[in-house]
Amino acid sequence: MANEAEETVRKLAMHKGVAGVIVVNGEGIPIKTTLENHVSVQYAGLMSSLVDKAKAVVRDLDPTNDLTFLRIRSKKSEVMVAPDKDFILIVVQNPVE
Amino acid sequence: MLKAMIKRALNINEEKVLINKTLQCLDKDATNKSRGNLAEDDALDWLKPRTLIRPDDQEEVPEADLEEEVGRILTTINPTWVADEVAYHYGKGKFMVKPKPMYGKAYPLYIHQGTAIRKDSDEAKAQIAAGYGMVSFDDAGPKRVKVKKTKTEEEEEEEPEQEPAPVEEVKDDEQVQEEEKAAEAAEKPAEEKPAEPTEEEPKAEEEAVADEETQEPEEKEAQQEDMGMEEYLDIKPRVKKLANQFNFCERAALTYNYPRRSVETQTIPPPRANFGATALQCIIFDYYQEDYARKMKEKEDEKPKRLKKKKAKHVKSEQQIHDERLAQRIREAWAILERLVNQNIYDDIAQDYRYWDDPSDEFREGMGSLLPLWKFQFDPMRSHAVCDVQWNPHYQDLFAVAYGSLDFTLQQKVGCLCLYSIKNPAYPEYAVITESPVICLDVYKEIPYLICVGLYDGNVCVYNAQLSLESSYQYKSNSVRDKHSNIVWEIRWGPRLIDGEPSFFSISGDGRVVQWAVMPGELQATTIITLTSSVPPIPGPDGTMLTVNSCGSCICFHPEKTEIFMVGTEDGMIHTCSLKYNRNYVRSIQGHHMPVYRIHYNNYNNSIYASCSGDWRVKIWEDGRDEPLFMFELGSPVGDVKWAPYSSTVFAACTADGKVYVYDLNVDKYRPICVQAVVSKKTKKLSRVDFNLKLPVIVCGDTKGTCHVLKLSPNLRVMCKPPKKAQGIDQRTLQIMKLDKLLSLVRDPPFQTGVVDEKFEDD
Repeated sequence: MANEAEETVRKLAMHKGVAGVIVVNGEGIPIKTTLENHVSVQYAGLMSSLVDKAKAVVRDLDPTNDLTFLRIRSKKSEVMVAPDKDFILIVVQNPVE
Repeated sequence: MLKAMIKRALNINEEKVLINKTLQCLDKDATNKSRGNLAEDDALDWLKPRTLIRPDDQEEVPEADLEEEVGRILTTINPTWVADEVAYHYGKGKFMVKPKPMYGKAYPLYIHQGTAIRKDSDEAKAQIAAGYGMVSFDDAGPKRVKVKKTKTEEEEEEEPEQEPAPVEEVKDDEQVQEEEKAAEAAEKPAEEKPAEPTEEEPKAEEEAVADEETQEPEEKEAQQEDMGMEEYLDIKPRVKKLANQFNFCERAALTYNYPRRSVETQTIPPPRANFGATALQCIIFDYYQEDYARKMKEKEDEKPKRLKKKKAKHVKSEQQIHDERLAQRIREAWAILERLVNQNIYDDIAQDYRYWDDPSDEFREGMGSLLPLWKFQFDPMRSHAVCDVQWNPHYQDLFAVAYGSLDFTLQQKVGCLCLYSIKNPAYPEYAVITESPVICLDVYKEIPYLICVGLYDGNVCVYNAQLSLESSYQYKSNSVRDKHSNIVWEIRWGPRLIDGEPSFFSISGDGRVVQWAVMPGELQATTIITLTSSVPPIPGPDGTMLTVNSCGSCICFHPEKTEIFMVGTEDGMIHTCSLKYNRNYVRSIQGHHMPVYRIHYNNYNNSIYASCSGDWRVKIWEDGRDEPLFMFELGSPVGDVKWAPYSSTVFAACTADGKVYVYDLNVDKYRPICVQAVVSKKTKKLSRVDFNLKLPVIVCGDTKGTCHVLKLSPNLRVMCKPPKKAQGIDQRTLQIMKLDKLLSLVRDPPFQTGVVDEKFEDD
């Protein structure tokens, strides 16, 4: 499993334009990252709260529904978030020219 | 002045003392006694020392000057008072004479209404009569009374600080009158005011003094009154003190006060923690779900133990289940994230794939083009060749790639089986490294995740793409007993056996066609046919004769008659065989001069098939005919040929010089409608090509491990238009009709029944 995860992270990080991959555990602590530490911590903290909020939105509308993914497009980059109750996967990608 | 007048009036005075006292009194009014006055009065000798002690430096003043009288007038009239002063009275509306101010020279500065009352007032008398009122006089009162009784007059004389007022009072009536007269006489010339004020003035003044003076004079006055009253009050018994009128008594006791002391103790503060939570509808819902699950579990627990035990054996621990689920969830999340990333990267290609159709097709009648879309590469397999490629029959975006090597002088040690999705061009969805280069593969139509592969070392394997990578293959041929002794060139799934097991066939360079039955846990091999060669037996080293098998290079099953299959060999022969005859070929033709790389049946007409070979040619055959219907020379070894699934007359071929040829026999019987160079011919060769079953794309693999997905331009996938007479005919029938029409033009000799059919009819 550990190998597989590492392999996956490595694979994903090698994609074109991918600036970073962060794996965040259930407590919002980045446990695996390809970015610098402080950036990862910032991403992890901000994303966990955003995910909570987004999840609340989806689930409050329909409790049987659930949030599966989150894409945040910004001017400079795109942040893709796969939220789960036990982990959050974050991929930051810069657009391809 | 007044003094002088009094002196004159009392000139003859017998009682010098009285005069003296009067003067004293007056002097008090007119500030201090002057020295002159004192000196002048010889009568005052007893008061003052005779000789005046003078300081040495005193100025000598002549006697005359000292004698000179300085007039000082004391008047009772207020000089600031204007008698006729009037003021306008607004209430009455007229001028009124202002009243005379009440007090002559005495100005009340502060008036305090005291509780004392005059002793001679009626009220006081009544109180004294009742026995009250003596409280304030202490014990002195009665004593004095006693003394006074004996010698009242003497005491009066003796009192050293006798005030002028009492003196005046004591004065004889006549004296007073005289004084008054004198005052009258003196004042008359000075003031035109009537005598009345003069008479009253001293009295008023006296009263005022009595009123305004502090307690002391009043007390004295009271004493005097007391004395005056002495005659008729007589000796009263000692006046009782005014006792407590109310019947209570106050007692107090001071108890001992303990000194105050502060004692403090500090406890360890209880641990604190901040807790915050938001109650959302979904959270409440979750708790209900949890509660429901718990209740269900409790119910389960109530079941008899026997049943539970049975279950417990199989049930994994909760932690394990959780871990597995978590791992699966993570995998899915990663997969989707990868999709998202790829979507961003390959967005333009996806757009092209979906929407871009070569607009020039409209103007080039009968000509088309291929639009290169994604390129698939697996990094560890860069030096490998794509030996086989096949779209998944079930998932239209998925295709399987066999990585092997076609360079036999420099063979790779390992191979790889990959499954790619066009949704993820960067990495294969499934990749498994094999022990030997993979030469061919086939995806099972019924179970699209089962893939059988033929390896370079002669083994065949079945892979289950659903299993995780650790358990690489599901089945593998026994390396010793059953395996081919040469490269497995092609492998094809066949029909299920009688018992229901899936089976597949493989053809190898050792000239055998083997059927593999997928039994539980193992592969069971049955040799179907051994391909004999026309070459006569070669004498062996010790006199034995060795029969040489011809090397099989490809195999193709009849789409309908499952027992009929065709085999291509390396010497260019195409044998039609049947599963029922394992000794002889049903039919054999010399199709090519070089190894046959592919035989492929037409999807619409079962008697038409195409073959390609290393002799640069692609041939279209009809069953039972020795000569091909069509023959195309592509100028380079042809690696693969495939009929299009959407059209009966379209096929594609790829050549070693890196080109893909697309033919539409209906459009052009002699030339391809599209020739597209996909890879550079210097470094790469195209090995295999395959049409997607549903999408207008083809995939072709090159010898450098890259798969190219190309989009067919509209001209390459022209559909049949139904004739006006029969609008309701479906596309398939139209396609068949199209091909039949074409065939009728091509067949030189009249159509004969196929050999295969004849043979079976005979049976």
